[in-house]
Amino acid sequence: MKKNLLQFLFVLLLLGSKAYAQSKTITGTVTGKDDNAPIPGVTITVEGTKTGIVSNADGTYSIKVPAGPQTLIFSSVGYITYKKLVTGLKLDVALESNQKALSEVLVVGYGTQTKRDNIGSVTSIGGKELSEKPVQNFVQALAGQAAGVQVTSANGVLNTPPVFRIRGTNSISLSSQPLIVVDGVPSFSGDGVSNNNPLSNINPEDIESVDIAKDAAGTAIYGSRAANGVVYVTTKKGKKGRAVVSIDSYYGESKVQRLPKLLDAYQYVDMKNEALKNAGLYNAATTYFALGTDAAGNTINTKWFDYIYRTGKIYNSTLSVSGGSDNTNYYMSANFTKEGGILQKNDFVRKSLLFNVDHKANKIISLGAKLSYSNEMNLQATSAGSLSGDAFAITGLGRIPLVSPPNVSPYNNDGSYNVSGNTLGFGANKGVSTSYYNIAPILDMNRANSENNHISSNVYFQVKPLPWITAKTNYGIDYIFTDSDQFLNSFQGDGSPNGSATDNFSKNKNWVWDNTIQFDHTFLGKHSFSLLLGNEQQYQKTTGFGLSRSVLSDNAFNIIQAGFTTNAASGLTYGENYLVSFFGRFNYDFDKKYLLTATLRQDQYSGFGFNKKKGVFPGAGLGWEVAREKFWTSIGADKVFSSFKLRGSYGRVGNNAGSGNYASYGFYGNGVFNTQPTLVATQTGNDDLGWETSTKTDFGFNFGIMGDRITGDVAFFKNNNSNLILAVSLPPSAGLPSRPSVNIGSMYNKGVEFTLNADAIRVKDFSYSPSFNISYNQNKILSLSPGVTSLTASTAGNEVTNINQVGYPISNLYIIRTGGVDPATGRRIFLNGAGRKVLYNPIGGAAAWTYEDGTTAPAISQSADAVNLTNSAPKVVGGLNNTFRYKGFDLNMLFTYQLGFSLYYGTNAGLHDQRFWNNTTDVLNRWTTPGQVTDIPKVFYNDNVSNGSTLPMDANVFNGNFVKLKTVNLGYSLPKSMLQKVGISSVRFYISAYNLFVITKYPGPDPEVSSNGASNTAQGIDRNTSANQRTITGGFSVKF
Amino acid sequence: MTMKKTLLIILSLGVVLNYSCQKEKLYPVSQTQVSNQDYQPFTTPARILSQVLALYNNLRGGQLYGSRYIVYNEVKADNYINSSNNGITAFTVWNATIGGTDSQITGLWSSGYSTINNCNLFIDGMVAKGNSVVDAATAKTYVAEAKFIRALVYYDLLQLYARPYADGSGSKPGLPLRLTGNSSYANYDLARSSVADVYAQIIKDLDAAETDLPSTYTTGTPAVLDAVANTTRAHKNTAIALKTRVYLSEQKYSNVITEANKIVPAVAPFVAPTGVPNALQSDITKVFTTPYTTTESILSAPFLTTETPGGQSQLCYYFYANAKALGTAEFNINPTGVVADANWKTTDKRRGFIYTSGSKIAMSKFPTLSPYTDWVPVIRYAEVLLNLAEARVRSTNTVDAQAIALLNAIRGRSDATTVFTVAGFANSTALADAIFQERNIELLGEGFRNADLMRLMLPIPGKGLLGAIPNTDPRYIWPMSGDELLYNKLMTPN
Repeated sequence: MKKNLLQFLFVLLLLGSKAYAQSKTITGTVTGKDDNAPIPGVTITVEGTKTGIVSNADGTYSIKVPAGPQTLIFSSVGYITYKKLVTGLKLDVALESNQKALSEVLVVGYGTQTKRDNIGSVTSIGGKELSEKPVQNFVQALAGQAAGVQVTSANGVLNTPPVFRIRGTNSISLSSQPLIVVDGVPSFSGDGVSNNNPLSNINPEDIESVDIAKDAAGTAIYGSRAANGVVYVTTKKGKKGRAVVSIDSYYGESKVQRLPKLLDAYQYVDMKNEALKNAGLYNAATTYFALGTDAAGNTINTKWFDYIYRTGKIYNSTLSVSGGSDNTNYYMSANFTKEGGILQKNDFVRKSLLFNVDHKANKIISLGAKLSYSNEMNLQATSAGSLSGDAFAITGLGRIPLVSPPNVSPYNNDGSYNVSGNTLGFGANKGVSTSYYNIAPILDMNRANSENNHISSNVYFQVKPLPWITAKTNYGIDYIFTDSDQFLNSFQGDGSPNGSATDNFSKNKNWVWDNTIQFDHTFLGKHSFSLLLGNEQQYQKTTGFGLSRSVLSDNAFNIIQAGFTTNAASGLTYGENYLVSFFGRFNYDFDKKYLLTATLRQDQYSGFGFNKKKGVFPGAGLGWEVAREKFWTSIGADKVFSSFKLRGSYGRVGNNAGSGNYASYGFYGNGVFNTQPTLVATQTGNDDLGWETSTKTDFGFNFGIMGDRITGDVAFFKNNNSNLILAVSLPPSAGLPSRPSVNIGSMYNKGVEFTLNADAIRVKDFSYSPSFNISYNQNKILSLSPGVTSLTASTAGNEVTNINQVGYPISNLYIIRTGGVDPATGRRIFLNGAGRKVLYNPIGGAAAWTYEDGTTAPAISQSADAVNLTNSAPKVVGGLNNTFRYKGFDLNMLFTYQLGFSLYYGTNAGLHDQRFWNNTTDVLNRWTTPGQVTDIPKVFYNDNVSNGSTLPMDANVFNGNFVKLKTVNLGYSLPKSMLQKVGISSVRFYISAYNLFVITKYPGPDPEVSSNGASNTAQGIDRNTSANQRTITGGFSVKF
Repeated sequence: MTMKKTLLIILSLGVVLNYSCQKEKLYPVSQTQVSNQDYQPFTTPARILSQVLALYNNLRGGQLYGSRYIVYNEVKADNYINSSNNGITAFTVWNATIGGTDSQITGLWSSGYSTINNCNLFIDGMVAKGNSVVDAATAKTYVAEAKFIRALVYYDLLQLYARPYADGSGSKPGLPLRLTGNSSYANYDLARSSVADVYAQIIKDLDAAETDLPSTYTTGTPAVLDAVANTTRAHKNTAIALKTRVYLSEQKYSNVITEANKIVPAVAPFVAPTGVPNALQSDITKVFTTPYTTTESILSAPFLTTETPGGQSQLCYYFYANAKALGTAEFNINPTGVVADANWKTTDKRRGFIYTSGSKIAMSKFPTLSPYTDWVPVIRYAEVLLNLAEARVRSTNTVDAQAIALLNAIRGRSDATTVFTVAGFANSTALADAIFQERNIELLGEGFRNADLMRLMLPIPGKGLLGAIPNTDPRYIWPMSGDELLYNKLMTPN
């Protein structure tokens, strides 16, 4: 590196020397520095001449040059241009990828910018960092890769949209997920409610880069929708040169990890009988638990986990061809993914095609298009009980194995399903009953599938009438056609006794048309101006309809078209919205030293009130490249810092994501009265409903040390979010049909981010480059609506678990405190609101709740006794990415971490519930004798209070800190000398691991969890959620 | 740049700008709901009629006549014993421990005011727009229906959330009196009017309703009485009948008599001489069976298999069978309540509404199990007769012969063996008591008992292990809705 630099300087010195003589031929090979793979299509020119050639498919070249020392220039998209003074006849060149260099191109919205010119807080992640991870959608692969970005994979259900936050939670009732712009088209993104993530149409292999804009300077161009940050996804384009064919294929397996240890049948029977005895219910003749015997005469000891979880098999293949001529380039890829999840019947199958083409018709006109089609099947038999709203689903696969008795088999000894009425059969148990289904017939027969047909395409036309004017029009569509297909069998479960099928079809159509004109000019050599003016329109329309049919006529059939006797409408949805914007961005820099960016965007949105449709969103940033100042050198700072840029930005952006299409309207809706139609007020209007605003301040600096071998980035930020939309409670006597949506709440996020990248070691055969980031965020709610100081939030509408209180962070845990187990009686000790100990006696009645002195206490209740316990949002998140290279080997290890937060492990309440539910083995430590000190109360049959099932308690709250080895990727590239003979440019074999291990004290399966999806107000809950998977894959990629 | 090029660019810019904003898309028209902008719900006769029907639909909602208003007024008094201990199905109403933030207190309050607001919105909208869409006569009757429903709901709310009129002649805090429609975000703080003021408004609305309501609803050609409409929609007699109830609550007995005389002849047979020929049926059980449209039912809330009361909001569920086992209900009959009355003979047809199975006693006046399609009576002609009878006795303080005739009409149709005579009563108080008890028997399970006790400032008798609640006790009336106190800065607690 150092040597290269010296040579480079030398070249500069000799610039302009033109010693012509006879010609000679220089030959060599161009390879990539990172992977040693040959690079075809590299333009090689002789400096100062018009002589130029392009490297061959195998990276070799041969160029005729005038005799004498000549400077060759090697340039190719995606690589740093390299110049070299050549004296000999042979020159092999290793080009450095520009992915991490300051000249890297950033996507900034309606254009690009070099990283050097950018003054926003933007993190760029190369496609390679995403494609090597075995994930269903690229968002899952972003975890830990950018400072200030929290990506939490909520559960082990395939294709669940992760919780995606940039610089904290920035809304209360609207979405806090960032705006995702794919190739210039703001796209549908997941809501966490279904396992159908619309972003899964993008094959991670096809991604060129993901740029995450966090501050006002980076996001203000998307003004009204930028409050949660903007993520620009750019798919791959062809590069000039011969066609490159690339095949990437892998196979892998996923397994569940860190499941709780449950009682086996023997322990279970003993424990439940003890509980029956303690409750005075045990009767050796009529009421007891007992071991059963299977057909072979063995004791039934059912491991219910084995019926729920499996080894998932993953196949993934991508074929692409890309290339280009001087005027036209193209990229085409096809992908097939078939991924089996760790849950039975949970599969994800994707077939996708992508075609990108760019053509330069002449000096003035260029045009291009993207065509993308994807079919995604999200398959499952039944709810996993893990998505938002499903935590208490009776068929939830996360909970079923925890509550099903291990001494009962899902099958009778004759092989038939073991059921009693519409529940699991009781086996050898007497006088006790189960109230959960036998999951086996449900897994065998039910269906809860969702299929997407997703078309995402755009076309552009660009005119450059003068070199400094670029006018561009771009039209894009994002169409998703979703078919949800559910079947509930008639034999047992939610469909019993009649059977039912529901099929809903929905069309989500989105078009975007934007027109921009950009002026770039440099005056007097040092004053560079750039002005972008634009207009954008986006229109979305959603329509849906479906059929819900019940009472299946013939059990041989199970599809919606079969015979059913009862029909009803289902899935009727209709909505449209329209956003129209005018915007401008002005960039100015003086001598690349002083940089200014100012943006202004005016948006009008159909969903807002008549008086507030319009929003104006300004943003500005300043940058100062201090390292270019003379004093920097004079004080010797240049010896430490090869670059140093101070930057700051301030702006006001907005949020409308998740606000209903008609939220501002006063509505009347139809009903029926004695068979005649009715019409009545159904929604309260608010003509003043408008944008949520986020005022973003960002200050920081970027630096490079040792010729930018080490680069870093420090940012301090504050997002003041105001006008947050809340459904405001008005006096009930006003008789309004609903709580109107009003811009009324406020909240801030502030914090600091630090990123450090290093090209730490680079010797002949070995290199090591780590990248580290850490960010700290503090959130505080400043105001809610009048008369309201806190809003509680519940898990799946069932258990109140969170509180959002003025003066505290959003989504704190709202929990009752406990004081252990009373050694004298084995009773659970709760603390009431005043902190006084209250003992619970599961015998119930008047004596159920007593103070320590034995006097009767009011029953503990959440509304009276729960406290705002602690924060559930991590204070610190980040990652450490390590890339090693040794000869043909490469190794990448990504660690991610989240620190400073607590989780409510609600599942743990169920794991100690003293109904017929199974328990974890720590229940073996239950209290049995006076004086015994333990944290498990005396078991008492049907007790669901002492364990926290009915009252969320702090004994089930745990620190969630974790460090994960999120991904490991180890590859080996065959030596190119070997490959050249067979016309292959590169072959790489690799193995990858995802979620390899986690270091945490959290007792649940995974501290990276969210039972309530992307909910703003009910984070940090792990309630009956299925565990996350560990995936190991192996594959190869070939280029020729 | 050549002229041509410049022109081209300017032209294309012009085209782009021309299509740069599609204004109409900023103002989308919902295809599933009617916006209230520019009184759109009042633009067609069909929409207006649909709104009128929606008001009745409000009235039959679960919190009001779907069941809960009736259930609360029954179980707050003395004829029932709670069996379910379920805090959301009136257990705490029954044992008088309910708090103001309880969903039962806040739910009925909200539901009542939602109905009132819909009436207000309708009345306002008719003035602003609807009167120009439907003919004047139709407009008048529609508005009269809205006023009738508004009056009824204000009356209902007074019975639970305010002190009786008798306490200080209506001088106690009543309800926030809202007479204009609310449809958007605004400041809605409003103080309570006095009980007397609210009653005055109720009477004002009912007087107007009486004037403008149709005498009858008819159907077909030649027109015949439309029994369904005459049972499910208000007509003149409905307004008059309700006035007898309202004036009785105010102890304005002479007014009760004046109103009742409009629809009750001086002597039997008791058939309304004008309007719908409302009359006492010879067999009370016919009133409570399909088709539920006898002329005794002056107003009822209809239910069908496709239009059922909400979950835990069915009278049958509360009083008869909350599961398939008959008699297993949220509330069973208090054996020491009205059923203990020895003068209520076992042969009395109304004893047929008392279901006994072992030690379980339940009320089977509303016997239809799921989907619970019993129609719920709001006003029955029998009540009007009892209102009149009681008013006559209490206003004249005599053993009034007409009152006895009315009493006999009620008793006699179910129990021909019992005949009251003037001689049978020692004084007017004894007669008043007999009428009051007859009311208790006749209207059992129809939501009168609590209001009847309170209008006379009588204590709520004890039941089970619970003691009596005197009229000085704060538990005598319900606490004010906690939500109202929280969000209405001018609201005051009970």
